[in-house]
Amino acid sequence: MNDDAVDPPEEGGGGGFGLGRPTGELADAQSGDRPAIRHSMEVDQSGRRSDEKYKSMGWKGIDDDEPEDDEDPPVSFAKKEPIPEDELDMTPMVDVTFLLLIFFMVTASFTLQKSIPQPAASSDAPSTTVSEEEEPEDDYVGVIIDQNNSFYVTTRDDEEREAPSEMEMRRMVKDAKDTYGAERLVITAHVDATHGRLIAVCDAGQSSSLKIEVKTTELEY
Amino acid sequence: MSSDTQITLKKRKENPEDGELDITPMIDITFLLLAFFVVVSKMDPQAAVDLPKASFGLSVQDKECVVLIVAKDESGSQTNVYAGRSKDPELAINQADPGATEDAVGDYVQEQLSSHPELTSILIKAEGNVRVGDVEMVKRGVAKAELSSSREIYAGIKEEQQ
Repeated sequence: MNDDAVDPPEEGGGGGFGLGRPTGELADAQSGDRPAIRHSMEVDQSGRRSDEKYKSMGWKGIDDDEPEDDEDPPVSFAKKEPIPEDELDMTPMVDVTFLLLIFFMVTASFTLQKSIPQPAASSDAPSTTVSEEEEPEDDYVGVIIDQNNSFYVTTRDDEEREAPSEMEMRRMVKDAKDTYGAERLVITAHVDATHGRLIAVCDAGQSSSLKIEVKTTELEY
Repeated sequence: MSSDTQITLKKRKENPEDGELDITPMIDITFLLLAFFVVVSKMDPQAAVDLPKASFGLSVQDKECVVLIVAKDESGSQTNVYAGRSKDPELAINQADPGATEDAVGDYVQEQLSSHPELTSILIKAEGNVRVGDVEMVKRGVAKAELSSSREIYAGIKEEQQ
């Protein structure tokens, strides 16, 4: 009796409700083993209890610890189909796969740093005098950032205009590119201007795909 | 025990396993929340650099760059240069005069580029509120490293759509 007590509970769950019936290849392949097992059980337990006979027909048996009191209505039972084998549950695998996907997406984006290319510093010291530009070339737009972080934009028509806001500066740089076909952006930044303002101008140049040159100056504007 | 012909059976009890709480969804949700908080929280407060915002940044691989950080200290009065990926005080280049800082930056970049061939460019993570002069000082330091002459120099930004 102890031998078959192991078997019924683990297979009963699906079978009792008609769930988990073998449908796939896997179940077909596995159900092939069943007759042999049943046969061995039969030999082992013959004549032990009256319900052994039904067990040999595929009935999975009742819990053996339960006393067989007769208060419940009699159950008529037909011959059961082969004991179903649970199908492989794919849900946890899919869960874990998605989790790994999210993990790698997040870690991959962490190692990327957004950045703006900067020209290498050429001179050793900030210039203290105004160096004249090669003015004849008019394919450039000049932006000056003074010590108070104000923007001044110079375009081909040579008039220097203060850009009252960052948005305005961006618009003027874009205009210079669109209208005059400027190809370079020459930034002159005072050393006391903040790096954030310089980056804003670089960004404006980058958005219009201008070649960026940066100079620093200690000259008060 | 009843006879062979008159078997009455107790109705089968439900399988005990059916009654157990299935904790799989709970574990799923727990991992999801874990992942969420890991992403949302700052991984290392020392590494947090208040980068300037820009919208047309290029993506560079952080681990292929020699990283230098230029940041103000907590009081906001002094600018520090860190040779490395975090604002660890041990990585700070504490030189009194700008020339010595330039040399220290140059030495660090040269040493990194020569010992790590996988490093291809230089990334300067400067906070938005530092002086242009201080960033320029670091750039001049980078230019002093011989190996840096052909390398790209990038300024780290925080991407923001306009």
